[in-house]
Amino acid sequence: MIPAFRAATTNTGRALEIVRMVLMFLVFGGMLGYALELYVIGHWLPTFQSQIPFYVTVPGVIFVAWIFFDRTTPWVRIAFIATMLLMIVTGILGAYYHWVWNMEDAGGIDWSFMPAMEEFHGFRPVLAALAYTNMGVTGLACIFRAR
Amino acid sequence: MIQRLMQAQTDDERTLAFLQNFFLLIAAFGFVFYGVEHWVIDHQVLDHWTALIPGWVSLAGAPLAVAMFFSTRKWLTYTFVGVMALAFLTGLLGALLHLVFNASDLGVSLFSISGFLESMQVPYRPVLAGLAHTHVGAVGLAVGLTVWVKD
Repeated sequence: MIPAFRAATTNTGRALEIVRMVLMFLVFGGMLGYALELYVIGHWLPTFQSQIPFYVTVPGVIFVAWIFFDRTTPWVRIAFIATMLLMIVTGILGAYYHWVWNMEDAGGIDWSFMPAMEEFHGFRPVLAALAYTNMGVTGLACIFRAR
Repeated sequence: MIQRLMQAQTDDERTLAFLQNFFLLIAAFGFVFYGVEHWVIDHQVLDHWTALIPGWVSLAGAPLAVAMFFSTRKWLTYTFVGVMALAFLTGLLGALLHLVFNASDLGVSLFSISGFLESMQVPYRPVLAGLAHTHVGAVGLAVGLTVWVKD
């Protein structure tokens, strides 16, 4: 991102790289912020699933930072794209499992409308998990057509 | 914004217009999403009047973001950028207020390390979650401030 910004010769090219850098910075800050937030609210539990957001943060932070300085090395691009896809899946799975576990705590899984909606705003926030999906999608958009 | 994408001539123009449209969609979605989330958790029925701020900002931000897809007239773009700046500040204020209210509930001082950490760890009023509006505002600003870029 930074080398491409410095090499840009047109206003459009510079604006394009600025947009990419701002959004990537938000993803970078988001990864650190969400990991800190999850740790603070006690998300690190003895179960593997509860630790997944922390694990994906490690490659996430590394490759987002790396892409700022080098997005031409093929394996770095592939690793970055794979990490972003992993974040998208993490968010969707997190939302799904938050919902299912809310239902289980309430006495069993029931996908009929009213009980499902009731547990949609249960103890575990369903939509909040999608923050990881948001970061993954943003990361992918930032590298889209980036030469 | 859609028109900008359709009229793009160069590769960079097309990519920039695509990203602007895409992130505008994320901003619009974010306002709707966080508006619903605040409503679901009954944020608007809390005692303090400041609890209404994120809802109002979402109500203003979502239609403006949608309108930007169809027009980038000066008055609309300036209003959009203003509301995005407001959303950015709302998030910062939200995080600060969450922190202050947590400290008040716990009866601790924010000017001590232990009091600060305790106030950060209240799960029902998450401090960093307030920054969601800052995130959406920053995404909107990245779009709004590059709308009229030309070579």
